[in-house]
Amino acid sequence: MHQISTAKTFWLFFIPACIAVALIPLFISSEYTLRVSALVIFWIGMSGCWNIMSGYTGYIDFGPVVYFGIGSYTTAICMTRFGALFFPSAILSGVVSALIALPIGIPTLRLRGAYFAIATFAFAETMKQVALEFDRTFGVKFFEGSHGITLPISGHDNMFFFYCVFAVTLAIVLVHYAIEHSKFGYGLKAIHEAEASAEIAGVNTTGVKLRAYVTSAFFLGILGGIEAYWITYITPADAFSVQKTVQMVIMTLLGGMGTFLGPIVGASFFTLLSEVLGTKFVEYYLIMVGAVIIGIILVLPSGIIGTLKARKGIRFI
Amino acid sequence: MTILECKNVSKNFGALAAVQAVSFTLNRGEILGMIGPNGAGKTTLFNCIVGIHPPSNGRVILDGTDIAGFKPYTICRMGLAKTSQIMEPFRTMSVFENVLIGALHGGQMSMKEARTETDRVIGFVGLTQHSHKPSAAISVPARRRLELARALATGAKVLLLDENMAGLNPFEIDEALELLRKIRDSGKSIVVVEHIMRAVMGISDRLIVLNYGAKIAEGTPEVVANNEDVIEAYLGRKAS
Amino acid sequence: MDTVLIQAIINGLLLGGVYAAYSAGFSLIFGVMGVVNLAHGELIMLGAFTSYWLFVWFNMDPYITIPFSMAALFVFGYIIQKYIINRVIELPHIMSYILTFGIHLMVANTALQLWTHDFRTITTSYSGANAAFWGLNIPYARLITFFLALVIIGALWFFMSRTETGRAIRATSMDKEVARIMGVNIREIYAITFGIGAAISGLAGTLISPFVIIFPEMGLNYTIIAFCVVVLGGMGYMPGALWGGVILGLAQSLTAAYLSAGISVATTFLILFFMLIFRPAGIVGKGLVA
Repeated sequence: MHQISTAKTFWLFFIPACIAVALIPLFISSEYTLRVSALVIFWIGMSGCWNIMSGYTGYIDFGPVVYFGIGSYTTAICMTRFGALFFPSAILSGVVSALIALPIGIPTLRLRGAYFAIATFAFAETMKQVALEFDRTFGVKFFEGSHGITLPISGHDNMFFFYCVFAVTLAIVLVHYAIEHSKFGYGLKAIHEAEASAEIAGVNTTGVKLRAYVTSAFFLGILGGIEAYWITYITPADAFSVQKTVQMVIMTLLGGMGTFLGPIVGASFFTLLSEVLGTKFVEYYLIMVGAVIIGIILVLPSGIIGTLKARKGIRFI
Repeated sequence: MTILECKNVSKNFGALAAVQAVSFTLNRGEILGMIGPNGAGKTTLFNCIVGIHPPSNGRVILDGTDIAGFKPYTICRMGLAKTSQIMEPFRTMSVFENVLIGALHGGQMSMKEARTETDRVIGFVGLTQHSHKPSAAISVPARRRLELARALATGAKVLLLDENMAGLNPFEIDEALELLRKIRDSGKSIVVVEHIMRAVMGISDRLIVLNYGAKIAEGTPEVVANNEDVIEAYLGRKAS
Repeated sequence: MDTVLIQAIINGLLLGGVYAAYSAGFSLIFGVMGVVNLAHGELIMLGAFTSYWLFVWFNMDPYITIPFSMAALFVFGYIIQKYIINRVIELPHIMSYILTFGIHLMVANTALQLWTHDFRTITTSYSGANAAFWGLNIPYARLITFFLALVIIGALWFFMSRTETGRAIRATSMDKEVARIMGVNIREIYAITFGIGAAISGLAGTLISPFVIIFPEMGLNYTIIAFCVVVLGGMGYMPGALWGGVILGLAQSLTAAYLSAGISVATTFLILFFMLIFRPAGIVGKGLVA
């Protein structure tokens, strides 16, 4: 195996790339293109979160959207009920998600394979139901059930939200970099390859998994908060929609699970593909998504980056 | 000087008594052989010592501390490492990275220290020329040494080797025995489970014999080899 | 005794039987192949639609359509396993769940294109009819379905333990390599197993068609319920589907009667979540644990 880049060449490439992306809004006149760019970055962040947990450890989480939804609702409730400002609310959203992820992660991460997947899914659906039924059951006005919560109009344009998601996604990408050559990252990969061997080699498997799970939840919470403010109206069905999980999974799968570039490549490709298909083939969109998924699994199970790594022995970072 | 002691360790799986009240001691710098027919409970005993299953009964004392019920990673960090009968290297990672994980997590070292230690250990076991190859792509003897290297990199004082010579030809076995002596000479204490009699008889200072989960004999290789119960366990009773 | 309670219990049992019927196929597929079939609900949906169209075009009573929906779904399932899922069977299991999820999306949405969002129902002469006594209401259709569910599970058990193919399937699920050495064509067995699982699900779709709303997106809810039933009863353990179904049916029916309909859905997931954490091998403890 040979590495394409060392640490120095990585930064040499990465920093200009970040600056270039950061300057996009200043050079685009079309609001539509700006929105799509922001969307691509948003999904890089989302699939990155899934990659941190499931991509590296191989524990397939089917319920990551729950932390997104918790984040959306935290921001919505803080801003509407407590009159808080956006930035503190968004940060709080991340913290709340992380705090909930901890006690949920401890028992759930003891499960493996299909059981872990189903348990995480079950938890996500439970929270969706809670948001839907809580008010009605306890006679309070908190989540607003299926009426949804309407946030104050932000008065901000797409550029503002572009930079919000850019900041969070940048952090997520940096976490990926930190994982790739760190003790924590090796721990994650060891768990994926052979968890039993990892344990007897001294890896604190529970601690490592939990750290990944909570980190992922934290960023998902913030992204959820940002989206709530962006679209100004949230409902349980949307905020906790399994559709979002599906997209996170596909994008990471397409790009390559457990790789640095995987979410970036996968999310970019898939979001752009969706925009094209979505406008041209509205009705057939989901059928195409299904076909894409089947295609990826049959042809490129390691994703684009994963296949490149395996076949050509190339490591990008 | 006892470094590892098992006192009446038992392990039951439901109605099956896999290990029955086994006691033994391992002295510092000693190589203790553990033999017995297949299914005698040797691997289960190792798993109990190393924390994979807690023992149903009894105590496991590592350098003065009772470790029964501790988690495997804690026990590893306290200085006890094991190699597995069925090897599970981290397949997509290189030999270097496999060993690195032992140094980083088991040995609790910083990345820089861990890398240095990994190079040293790989050199010690003689795998330097394979260092950057994927661990799935090396030969069986090399993979056995990789298991050893990973265990050594954790900084373990005590090594439990579960059939680390399985699948080796006679020449490779001699090399493996050389390496074991080298490891012992560097200050480690080892328990060796093996089926290859000349190997385990040749290298062990003392032996214990298990059968059906219980210890049936203990002593030097000569004593054990002549023990009637041991002979019966392996060969069956003489037809009279 | 309180009529509300008895009615809730009866509803729960009847519901449980139905749940068991359409979860048996899911449990079979997981037990034998380790595949979590996320397109399971679509198989039920297709069975229901087969009955619906036969009813609409040929005026066939839904119970008469049983052989047709079973045959159609068997073929469909067999082909999917043979040409698609078998290709990933040697890869880590996660690939098969994602693959079946892709199949779920394609089938559900293709059906949506063909048949639109419209809700359909089958109304027969006995559709609304109940056996009514002692202040209780027992819909005939549900009762028939309940008994047929028991028959299905019994027949499946019989097939698996007494026939040649059934034994081959069980051998394969116990030890693939040994079965292969014994001359069993694993891929063929998998295809047949999936076909059988699909046929049972199709049958279940037909059985519920007289009393549920039929629409293309109905599948996902059934897949979710099948998960719950099978986790409760023990994954891969067939009789567990009955236990799981009944417990879930009772839990839902009792919470719906005494709390609210919305809570009963939340209860389903909560039960599922806690079962996985505390007792993944199922209530009776005979399920496979990953």
